[in-house]
Amino acid sequence: MPAEAPRRTNRERLAARRAAEAAARARAERRRRAVLGGVIAALAVVIALIVVVVVQTQRTIPSAGAAVPANTVDGTAVAVGSADAPVTVDLYEDFQCPNCKAFEDATGSTLGGLVADGTVRVRYHGMAFLDTGANDKYSTRALNAAAVVLSTAGPGAFQTFHDLLYAHQPSEGGSGLSDDQLVQYAAQAGASGAAVEKDIRDLTYGDWVTTATDKASKDGVTSTPTVLVAGKKLADPSAAGLTAAVTAAAAG
Amino acid sequence: MAAAARLVLGGVFVVSGALKVPDPAAAVRAVRAYQLVPEPLVPPVAFGLPVIEIAVGLALLLGVFVRTAAIAVAVLLAVFLVGVGSAWARGLQIDCGCFSAGGQVAAEQTAYPLEMLRDGALLVVALLLARRPASRLALGGRSAVDPVQAEDFSRAR
Repeated sequence: MPAEAPRRTNRERLAARRAAEAAARARAERRRRAVLGGVIAALAVVIALIVVVVVQTQRTIPSAGAAVPANTVDGTAVAVGSADAPVTVDLYEDFQCPNCKAFEDATGSTLGGLVADGTVRVRYHGMAFLDTGANDKYSTRALNAAAVVLSTAGPGAFQTFHDLLYAHQPSEGGSGLSDDQLVQYAAQAGASGAAVEKDIRDLTYGDWVTTATDKASKDGVTSTPTVLVAGKKLADPSAAGLTAAVTAAAAG
Repeated sequence: MAAAARLVLGGVFVVSGALKVPDPAAAVRAVRAYQLVPEPLVPPVAFGLPVIEIAVGLALLLGVFVRTAAIAVAVLLAVFLVGVGSAWARGLQIDCGCFSAGGQVAAEQTAYPLEMLRDGALLVVALLLARRPASRLALGGRSAVDPVQAEDFSRAR
């Protein structure tokens, strides 16, 4: 009897040691698999990252053959007024932006007067970032149509078309103006014909709209309307504020 | 609790990442608007960030690599907080672009306090989750957490 006890204890010790070794092996195995899984997951994320960056880069590069409208200055801006005017006003606007309409309503005639008397040259920089499914990409369609009018009939017609679109701006969150309406306003502004209609409906200058929006973003414009009077941001977007800033710029 | 934290954080990150994918140009403008990233790096950041967001969000939702994902989320949120805070401090008028588009808004439309409060709350959740990553309804279970932590947690439970 007493001889059996230590033997069983030995066997138990052996079993316990084996169990401990097995547990350690299992832990090591679990750890190894966790590390392997981690490496595989990290690789998958890196590959996904590379693929997505490449694909998205492709999607944002305007196609090489992109149509550019005639009559722009520096490729994306539209200049209205005498080139000799002492003060340049840069205007960044989206046709769907309600604050831009408010600015146009408040200062449109004042600005028109300053252009007419040769004090101001306006450079319009179109942007299109208020596209939605509901408005069927109205921002893009409107700026494309404006480019068609500009290309066909020049900056004067662009100005008229621009004013018409702000006067009839569709509500934000609404369905936007239809292509038919854009064609009709283009005709009113002085650009009509089958080619105009086709370019408006086919978004001929769609890539150019993207380029123009991108250019404005690179110019540091982070909200619309952004109004620069002689390069300085206009703080008070009222008729009086605009007049004061232009007067100060003309004097300086 | 940990399961709820995982689902909330994972859900928010998957959704916010996915919303940025369809319009890459808008994502680029949103990143550029912060004026923190040098121009050559703007597109890669704008395109890559959603991938990271979706990846860590999915990991949290599925319950794999929970601790790593929670730490990644905490780091991202800290970066977002710095970004929004600095935009606020510099007087920029931008939307945070947290859920797609963003970028350009009028002065009265900025919502910096709210955006920072939300990111801060999510950051606290992420840190708690990184501390106690094990939870129910997780695919990875114990093997996803490193063994020492798993034992730690079973004791806590």
